[in-house]
Amino acid sequence: MMDASERLRRPAWLRAWGVALVPLFLAAAYLGLVWSPQDVNQGNLIRIMYAHVSVAWIGFVAVGLTALFGALFLWRGKRRDDVLAVASGEMALLFSALTIIGGMTYSRPTLNTFWTWDAKLTLTALMVALLVGYFIVRALIDDPVRRGRVSAVVAIIVAASLPFNYLAAEWFRTLHPSRAIALDGSGVTMAPEMLFTLLFNTVVAGLVYAWFMVDRARLGRIEAQLEAERAERELGSVPSGGVVRV
Amino acid sequence: MTRRVAMRRGLAPRRIVYALLGIGVLGVAGFMISQALNTALVYFILPNEYAQAPSQYENRRIRLGGLVAPESVAFNDQDLQLTFLVTDGIQSYRVEHVGAPPELFRENAGVVIEGSFDADVFVSDNLLIKHSEVYEAPKDGHIDIEELRRSLQ
Repeated sequence: MMDASERLRRPAWLRAWGVALVPLFLAAAYLGLVWSPQDVNQGNLIRIMYAHVSVAWIGFVAVGLTALFGALFLWRGKRRDDVLAVASGEMALLFSALTIIGGMTYSRPTLNTFWTWDAKLTLTALMVALLVGYFIVRALIDDPVRRGRVSAVVAIIVAASLPFNYLAAEWFRTLHPSRAIALDGSGVTMAPEMLFTLLFNTVVAGLVYAWFMVDRARLGRIEAQLEAERAERELGSVPSGGVVRV
Repeated sequence: MTRRVAMRRGLAPRRIVYALLGIGVLGVAGFMISQALNTALVYFILPNEYAQAPSQYENRRIRLGGLVAPESVAFNDQDLQLTFLVTDGIQSYRVEHVGAPPELFRENAGVVIEGSFDADVFVSDNLLIKHSEVYEAPKDGHIDIEELRRSLQ
């Protein structure tokens, strides 16, 4: 058996990835804050958009992956999938909360309000509330299998709201602007330099998400292992008939 | 057996706290859903929609969405009186708003205004900007009105 410090050590490739994120983050910030041209209407305020939109997209991806790993856990019942789901879920909550904070920052000087209850903002607030619920549900259930199953269902419900959220400005009248980049190929209404800056920021946000997710999953696996070892020890000391479910 | 009972007792306060938190979150979620159903699906109405059934919106606080009609803006910086015409291309209404215009407020800009009608004048107490999804570097100062109009559909 490995000792604790050995087990907790971050592998070299993961450390290298983490270090590489620093210059990438600085490059993304440089593109957004300095290199990108001003917007014809918004001037320098456009620069907030790069942070807001990239974080929002990766938040959506994080919610989707949380639901995907949750679904895999429901299907195969492997503890590993539940560990990945939680790791992604924590980042989904963080990125969604940052989306709202960044959105409010961007919205006050451009749209003249911090908040309004339009469809897109309401759905995003609901997403954050449900992600908080995801962790409350997890904290309430002690049995790892039930915990994983119930929270996977919550994650899938949150993910079901993603298409509505993504297309909210197209489907409903909102204050939030519509998408400038249509994934169906019908066009991009953004200057090429702005598009490049946004995509670069999105890739970096994605790498940041993935790094924390992978590292959190690594810790989650150690956690699960320790939990299993503890259960095993208790099983050994408790006389037959003791109630320990793994 | 006694150990199990003791464990249960130890868990009880924690469970109550989590249960209360859960109820709180559900309450917030329910509130948000009801907000969404009440207001978000039709976040604002267009001037011509109001014109078709003004009695439906009588004495009610509504949001009106449209474009700021060109050459209709007047702002008095002494008493902060802002007046302009809001239009959807079919119908226009005069808007009276107290307060400095927001930074992105300009002719042909999309706006959503909150307030109520006083006869045929919309008295606004909240002026929001609905900008289009077009982002471009300044070239010749030209604004694509068709794009703005589409963003209001």
